[in-house]
Amino acid sequence: MSATSIIQSVQTLQSNILQHVHHRALLQNVGQPTLQEEQLFFIQLPFLNGAAMTDDHKVSAVTVGIVHASLLEHEKVLEVDATSKEQQLIVLSGDYYSGRYYQLLAQSGNIRLIQKLSKGIVDRCEHQIRIYETETRSVEQWVHSLTVIESALISQYYDVYGYNAYTELMENTLTFIRLKKEYGLIQDTKQGFLYRALALADNPTVLESTMERLHGQLITRKQRALEVLKQSHIHDDLKHSIEQYITL
Amino acid sequence: MEKMKIKMLYADIKSDIEIIENELEQALNSSSHLLNDASIHLLQAGGKRIRPVFTLLSAKFGDYNIERMKNIAVPLELIHMGSLVHDDVIDDSDMRRGRETVKAQWNNRVAMYTGNFIFARALEYVTSIENPRAHQILAKTMVELVNGEVIQIEDKFRLDQNLKDYFRRIKRKTALLIESSCELGAVVSGADEKTVRHLKRYGYFVGMSFQIVDDILDFTATDKQLGKPAGSDLMQGNVTLPILLMKDNPLLAPYLAKVSTTGLTEQERQNMLALVRNSDAIKEATKISNLYLKKALKEVEALPNHPMKKKLRDIALFMGKRKS
Repeated sequence: MSATSIIQSVQTLQSNILQHVHHRALLQNVGQPTLQEEQLFFIQLPFLNGAAMTDDHKVSAVTVGIVHASLLEHEKVLEVDATSKEQQLIVLSGDYYSGRYYQLLAQSGNIRLIQKLSKGIVDRCEHQIRIYETETRSVEQWVHSLTVIESALISQYYDVYGYNAYTELMENTLTFIRLKKEYGLIQDTKQGFLYRALALADNPTVLESTMERLHGQLITRKQRALEVLKQSHIHDDLKHSIEQYITL
Repeated sequence: MEKMKIKMLYADIKSDIEIIENELEQALNSSSHLLNDASIHLLQAGGKRIRPVFTLLSAKFGDYNIERMKNIAVPLELIHMGSLVHDDVIDDSDMRRGRETVKAQWNNRVAMYTGNFIFARALEYVTSIENPRAHQILAKTMVELVNGEVIQIEDKFRLDQNLKDYFRRIKRKTALLIESSCELGAVVSGADEKTVRHLKRYGYFVGMSFQIVDDILDFTATDKQLGKPAGSDLMQGNVTLPILLMKDNPLLAPYLAKVSTTGLTEQERQNMLALVRNSDAIKEATKISNLYLKKALKEVEALPNHPMKKKLRDIALFMGKRKS
């Protein structure tokens, strides 16, 4: 498995997803859905590492990507004013993608994956909405929420096909990537999910200690991912790709 | 008064509707207290629960078992609820059924998460049904429902649209979910194909009539009856049947021009409502709604003999004559 074929595999999945959610009016007004390369990589990982990919797997992989795209689309809805045509259609594009994932799985008769992905969506929503709840939570609890948000869907998908051996690696890597992004957002623009969740705007005095704890979490996640990677039977090129995702 | 009438109509399946109501509550139970609050808020707002009612009544024509039927009736109501939560974001609606909407009480993002949570719960629930055809029908309905909403946004403030555009839109926006409620009730209960077809068509015709009545009531009912300002549809740019039927009336032209630019003042809204209420458009629209009702009743006649035929007839007539 060369680096080129890894990239090609991710690109193929990407174009399959785009093909399945193509909608003239949505494309014209809100553009293509957001697809995160690292998410697509982990959807493909078991197959890149040698597992046989059936047509059923291909459809399933597409649907996991579509659900991600659906939920990411709704992250683009503004909190207060969503009255522009673009915003209205962003709401509907997320709903459309969500309907399409169900339709594809219903056509292939994959009821088990519908159930597991729905469970993943519920888990993810429960953690996403926490940002609007009044309880105070620790840095660790918030990082756990990021883990659920980033990995719940792929985790459920692995579970359906018995690829649980990849779960811990996927969770740590995807959490690391998101955490690194959030760390940068706090540092550079004083924005982001964690900046808001940890109420850092209201508590500037704890900013420094919080950043240290977040850095600590980054190191922990990286180390854990590297440990799992070392013990795994993952091909060297794939290992190299994952290592690139977890550079500080 | 209307609520009493509905209760009477549902009398035969009262205990089963109570089961559905309890199941809805359980389905919306979450580890997030905010999602719980938003869900309770929605459940307390009530609703006619017409989709589960149509599902259960249709299922009576097959092998009826509430334990099995709840697995399709509950998701249908959840999908309807979830789409209303997202619709309120799209329409920037602060009030629904006389209560604050989720987006007004919290914000748009909370409404998005709530809607997504409800949709996901609906699908989790429906997976207890293994019949692939049922999933294909429901999935297609969900996609078409969104397509209807997309068309509605594209058609906003478009006065050059014709009746065909309007019917195409309301078919997807409303009729399809009622059609599917009937069809799914029949399919899941194993009713014969001919019965499935008649119930499906019945649902479609009732759904069309239901939406036309809704569009009429938006002009003829009071703010209190509607739980939101009368004329809201037009003020949001949704050109519905009464307006399409009188769009060439020169007295309406200044209001239509203002709606798409500066919006209407309170006095202008009242004047516009009076103009529409006193026009022939309401009578014409009612006639069209009645035509759909008539077609629905014809489908009921074609169904095999069953005590529920009368119920289907009564509910269709009630939907067509309701005042709120």
